[in-house]
Amino acid sequence: MSNRMRAWLIATPATLLVTIFLVLPVLATFATTFGDPKGPFATYSAFFNSRFRTTVLWRTMEVALVTTFISVAIGFVTAWVVARMPSHLKSLLIIAAVFPLLTGVVVRSFAWLVILGKNGVLNNFLLSIGVIAEPLSMLYTQGSVIVAMVYLFVPLMILTLVGVLEGIPQDLTDAAASLGATPTAAFRQVVLPMAVPGLIVGAVLVFTGSFTSYATPQLLGGEGQMMMGTFLYQRAMVTFDWVGASTIAAVMVVVTLATVLTMSRVARKLNPMAG
Amino acid sequence: MKNRIHPVLIVITVLTFLFLLGPLVVIIGSALSDTSYLTFPPQGLTLHWFSNIFEVSAFTRTMGTSFMLAIGGTTISMLIGIPAAYALARYRIELPAFLGNVFVLPILIPEIVLGFSLMKSLASGFGLPIFIALLIGHALIVLPYTVRVVGASLNSFDFSIEEAAVSLGCTRIKAFFVVVIPNIRAGIIAGFILAFITSLNDVSISIFLTGPGVSTLPIQLLAHMEQFFDPTIASVSVLLMGVTVAVMAVVERTLGLTFLTK
Amino acid sequence: MTQSLTLENISAHYGSTQVLEDLSLHIAEGELVSLLGSSGCGKTTTLRLVAGFLEPTAGTISLGDRDLTRLPAHARDIGLVFQTYALFPHLTVRDNVGFGLKQRKISTAELKTRVNTMIERVGLNELADRYPANLSGGQRQRVALARALVIDPPLLMFDEPLSNLDAKLRVDMRVEIRRLQQANGTTALYVTHDQEEAFSISDRVAIMKGGRIMQLDTPEVLYSKPSSAFVANFVGFDNMVEMEVVSDGGDVVQAQMAGGSLIDLPKSQFTVPSKNFLFAARPEGLSVVTDETAVGIPTTLGMRTYIGRAYQYHCETAAGTLLANGPQAQPFSLGQSAMLVPQPEQCCLLPNEV
Repeated sequence: MSNRMRAWLIATPATLLVTIFLVLPVLATFATTFGDPKGPFATYSAFFNSRFRTTVLWRTMEVALVTTFISVAIGFVTAWVVARMPSHLKSLLIIAAVFPLLTGVVVRSFAWLVILGKNGVLNNFLLSIGVIAEPLSMLYTQGSVIVAMVYLFVPLMILTLVGVLEGIPQDLTDAAASLGATPTAAFRQVVLPMAVPGLIVGAVLVFTGSFTSYATPQLLGGEGQMMMGTFLYQRAMVTFDWVGASTIAAVMVVVTLATVLTMSRVARKLNPMAG
Repeated sequence: MKNRIHPVLIVITVLTFLFLLGPLVVIIGSALSDTSYLTFPPQGLTLHWFSNIFEVSAFTRTMGTSFMLAIGGTTISMLIGIPAAYALARYRIELPAFLGNVFVLPILIPEIVLGFSLMKSLASGFGLPIFIALLIGHALIVLPYTVRVVGASLNSFDFSIEEAAVSLGCTRIKAFFVVVIPNIRAGIIAGFILAFITSLNDVSISIFLTGPGVSTLPIQLLAHMEQFFDPTIASVSVLLMGVTVAVMAVVERTLGLTFLTK
Repeated sequence: MTQSLTLENISAHYGSTQVLEDLSLHIAEGELVSLLGSSGCGKTTTLRLVAGFLEPTAGTISLGDRDLTRLPAHARDIGLVFQTYALFPHLTVRDNVGFGLKQRKISTAELKTRVNTMIERVGLNELADRYPANLSGGQRQRVALARALVIDPPLLMFDEPLSNLDAKLRVDMRVEIRRLQQANGTTALYVTHDQEEAFSISDRVAIMKGGRIMQLDTPEVLYSKPSSAFVANFVGFDNMVEMEVVSDGGDVVQAQMAGGSLIDLPKSQFTVPSKNFLFAARPEGLSVVTDETAVGIPTTLGMRTYIGRAYQYHCETAAGTLLANGPQAQPFSLGQSAMLVPQPEQCCLLPNEV
């Protein structure tokens, strides 16, 4: 048996699983969106002509972008400090970041229900110190969704960036110093440019993750803060409009794939280390 | 002199970790509260809500389903993912480059889209039993983890060891089991754990594939939260956090946790 | 504007372990001094102290009349070539070379000219716009060298700069380093574990062990007149025999070797340093002679290996196994009795440290 045949044989079961249960069903979903009697793109023009649907799309974009920016900023600072800590403290902090990451989305979103609710931890606290007289309604707002999303993705960002920053050899910052670069100059001219590709990869993970999330907007956003994920579910399982749901699905796939492809190209361009 | 960090950055870092761990403390606290509603800090301490979990049959039943799914789905993905990772690492020249990306598709395609598509074709189209459809869905979404993590340890595996075993009279299949597998053990354990926890926590696939009588714990939790707001949910959450602790202990034992930043 | 480097009574610690002990060193203007030793001897620590990446627990470091001891690394103005080259992967060759000048805020025009001149001097014109990932090891080495030289530092330092190159390139590059250092007349500190490399390019070499300098001398002196058993062993005196003077009269000193046999050492050829001393010899410093009447160490020949210019024998003597060379023309056989005749220019006598 040739190596080529052997290789294919070994890889076949996994390839089949993905093809039969992912590629074909997803293509089938796409296919239904082109079957409208009014023309192949009728469902899409309906989607983009509907104020409600485009609002959901833009809201999702907005939430995902804001979440990404906040997560990158917090994640970068934290990762930078963590990477500089003595090793036993560093492992402790990494454990503290991994723990929430491995805890489920439902559990983590639920925590914010308890914190942000009318009788929640935050309101009680603010009332008790007299900052407010009436409980604030913080749940079911864009803000509550973003806070919970940032909470979901900051650990991911920290872990990614600690890896990236630790991958920058000490020799390079030493070399910059020996050539007269102040710590600030070395950070701006060496550390930052070298961290950017990894930062982009992390940011893409956060963006696509929050863009396609379901449980968090469902719990913390409710009907009023419908996002693409919850919208898809609602169309598919509540109103049983499968063509509409398929259209939403297709838009989600296009947005995530376009983001992933363009950003990974940008990251590669900025990364001369890869040759 | 060298490690001086600006105090503002330290403050931000401390706040970040408070932000990360605080909500988990809130959950633990409210699970112990001796009140019929969720509150923090707890008022009076009780373990009543933990015992209550086992009185609500929906929780015990879905917990069983979730663990069976996680173990079953992960096992399936391991059985087909390890060979795939091996093929990709060992036969880099013989296989087309895009094949590696095929196994990442379940991460690349939004899970909720995948869940919806699977629901339409499997459950609705072919009338597959719910549990089987769930099992397939879970095996699918954890496949990228197994292929990638096992692949990472295969990439640092020296295949001349395998050739040495063959030259000493091992068959190829036997060499795979006695030489390759033991040397990528760490990757296999890590892949299994990541896959297991991913499956256990999954919402986006399961939400479409659960049906009458068959549901998973996270879906049950979601449903419960929308109707009731008592400390039982918090105690189930604490239980799930316990699973996370156990998983982290295993990772720490076998690989060291710094493994996760690589 | 080259300057001398002075280290005075430097001590350094990693945590509680002392890595340098009261080390003093002076490098004159324009001089190239190598720190030579095996790993853990403190040579790299010394370099990192001078560079400012570490702080000494005691002592002072000065460059010319400038005290560097507490100065941050970026204010020291020292050109440093790293073992890993430490080229910035996100910058082209040109930007790597220009990095130091950019920190000095000189005019763009001057920066350009100086970078271009330097790139030309190290022969990298064609590659100026490439990234380090697309260069060979030797080319990277040249970029590292150009980057350190272009800032025109009063002191150049090299941290095992050639250890990642293959043998042929290593020889070429060390000649190149020496040429550029001498052309600029820059003071230089060179760290290596390779004796041949250190001897070939240095004005003086410091042999280090356990955080101290064992001997600092010109390569010639180190090679022929090591001052201690450690240095002697390091520079290739493979045979060490303990001896004790039994009689000292006329032209000859008679000494008793470990194991009991006596040997006559003519005063015209050997200077005995003390009553108890060490006799150190390179393999070529002991000639294997079958003439039993010759003056030397009696032996039985053991394993023979061919080393090109001679045959080398493992010789069993009363004082233990010694390595000695025999004539190329005539291989002797295993078990044969012979004499090992000391050749004064390849032997040295050291005071016994016991």
